[in-house]
Amino acid sequence: MRVNDAVSGLILMLFAAAMLMMASQFPGFPGQNYGPGLFPMVLGFGILLCGGILTARGLVAHFSDGQPWWLRDPAGSSFLSFALIVGSVLFYIFASDTVGFILSSLAILLALFARFRVRWRVALPVAIGTTLAMQYFFVNLMRVPLARGWLDSVL
Amino acid sequence: MQIDALMEAFSLVFDPFVLLVIFGAAVFGLFVGAIPGLSAGMALALLVPITFFMDPVPAIGAIVSVTAMALFAGDIPAALLRMPGTAASAAYTDESYALAQKGQLDLALGVNLVFSALGGLFGVAFLIVAAPSLAEFALNFSTFEYFWLTALGLTTSVLITTENPIKGVASLLIGLSLGTVGLDPSAGFPRFTFGSVELMGGIHMIAAIIGMFALSEILRNAMSKQKPEQAAIQTTSNIFAGVWPVWKKYWTHFFRGSAIGTVIGALPGAGADIAAWVSYAVAKRFSKEPEKFGTGHIEGIVDATSANNSALAGAWIPATVFGIPGDSLTAIAISVLFMKGMNPGPTIFTHNPQFIYAIFIIFVLANIAMVPLGWVMIKFSKQVLRVPRDVLLPIILIFSIVGAFAMTNSVYAVSLMLATGVLGWLMEKNDFPVGPVILALVLGGIFEQNFMSSMFKSDGSLLAFFERPIAGTLGVLTLSIWAFMLVSGIRQGARQRAGRRLSRRPGAQAPSP
Repeated sequence: MRVNDAVSGLILMLFAAAMLMMASQFPGFPGQNYGPGLFPMVLGFGILLCGGILTARGLVAHFSDGQPWWLRDPAGSSFLSFALIVGSVLFYIFASDTVGFILSSLAILLALFARFRVRWRVALPVAIGTTLAMQYFFVNLMRVPLARGWLDSVL
Repeated sequence: MQIDALMEAFSLVFDPFVLLVIFGAAVFGLFVGAIPGLSAGMALALLVPITFFMDPVPAIGAIVSVTAMALFAGDIPAALLRMPGTAASAAYTDESYALAQKGQLDLALGVNLVFSALGGLFGVAFLIVAAPSLAEFALNFSTFEYFWLTALGLTTSVLITTENPIKGVASLLIGLSLGTVGLDPSAGFPRFTFGSVELMGGIHMIAAIIGMFALSEILRNAMSKQKPEQAAIQTTSNIFAGVWPVWKKYWTHFFRGSAIGTVIGALPGAGADIAAWVSYAVAKRFSKEPEKFGTGHIEGIVDATSANNSALAGAWIPATVFGIPGDSLTAIAISVLFMKGMNPGPTIFTHNPQFIYAIFIIFVLANIAMVPLGWVMIKFSKQVLRVPRDVLLPIILIFSIVGAFAMTNSVYAVSLMLATGVLGWLMEKNDFPVGPVILALVLGGIFEQNFMSSMFKSDGSLLAFFERPIAGTLGVLTLSIWAFMLVSGIRQGARQRAGRRLSRRPGAQAPSP
């Protein structure tokens, strides 16, 4: 999604304000009038300044040129694919420990292949092959403890 | 040059496992680089989690080899489909494609391949000559010099990579801010951790790199429904046939392009993309037949394709000598060096020279291997370009998830990858450059450390930052770039306003920006 510079500028200013507020609470070094908060404070003021300039520019663009606050993505782009990909990662974060890597990976791959309209006789072998290859490479060769989940008794 | 260290470097590199890793990374780099939409940064980001499990030398081998190959492979779809495989090929994509359309595809690909490899070798030669002597010089640097050098690198990365400097600076500051998460370097005070133990160690650099370079590219690719058209891809025959006459005619261009590329790469903050654009522009400016540029003329391609590969080696000069990467690709490489405990900087040249020599040897090997491997890749380019993106994207997604997971053995890194990936995608959509974020994230810790220790030394006086001659020069240089950016930013804004006023007058033509 494309937004007017005033929107991104405002977000930056809010971010900077939160950062400055937190950084101002950091304790100082003994005997110095600055501490761990100094560098974040400098950065915070910098972001505040950038955000301010962008906001000003965006406001000018909106009120004198009629640029809208935000623009939809051009037709032909798909929000569903975006949601599905982000959802897949969220699914992995929250469910993989219970479900296990192998089943999560198969589910994610097949869901995305279905969304992208990959033919089943391609999708199924590729999903299984990819999952097993990852499992073998990361678990057996690299000793990464990928979750076993529901397949714990089988593996 | 210490002979025993050199011998050790040779035995480290010419180990069957290391050679196999270099070969594997090369094939992977050629493949990813050749697919439009998948960048060299993505190739590197996907490879980094694997290098995590390797010894330093194979890890460096994989990194050098994958980036060199991906940079060349970007030239292949440029000539075949008019789509640059990586950003560094964009400068001469139209030229390559026009040449191919004139029936000279073999010439375009042959010249791209051979001059990429030669340009790479030129850059390596310069790296070998310049880096050790520069390192000796850099031994005298104090935190003041390092502070300004880092500031200069971060500044140039914004100055030359973006059309919108304010957004570039904002990206940079966001990257530096992300770098402040965790225990602060001078007092060990936890900052912005929100009580999370995992955040105390800071934002995991590699998880963030995978997010910004792999996940955000997956999102971008998946959202555009337009399929790359299955254009009729021409067949190649003998790609090397026309190269020798081109060399005889344009060998001066090769040296000019490579020299420009190496120097631009060696500037902290600028890399292969800029090198290609600048050398192409220089070639056109000084050409005897500038009117032929853009119509499928080989001259500019010679300059630019040599330049982007030589810039890659050039970028390793500030990376190894000062620990300050020249661009986001080298920034990722540097983060791997840190991860392996090989802290780059002038001392590595005296303490662990075998690693530096190993880097040199790997660079030479990779650029020599580029010719046969690139030739095979060109032969198979038809098949590779037919691999459907719809099948690749989900595979890359799973690989990114597992790669991130492997960094911390917990889903914390996966969450971090998701957050940075969405952030990177949003930033890219709104013209905030992503490269400076990574550069700033990698350099943030050192930057703050140098800043704070300089502050301690000078007892809080900012004047001390300019008292040493080199620090003073670098400081003044950096500040004048800031002033220049500010002035040109204001001017740009004023011009836009003037343009709008003009365009609102009935019948008036808006001046082109």
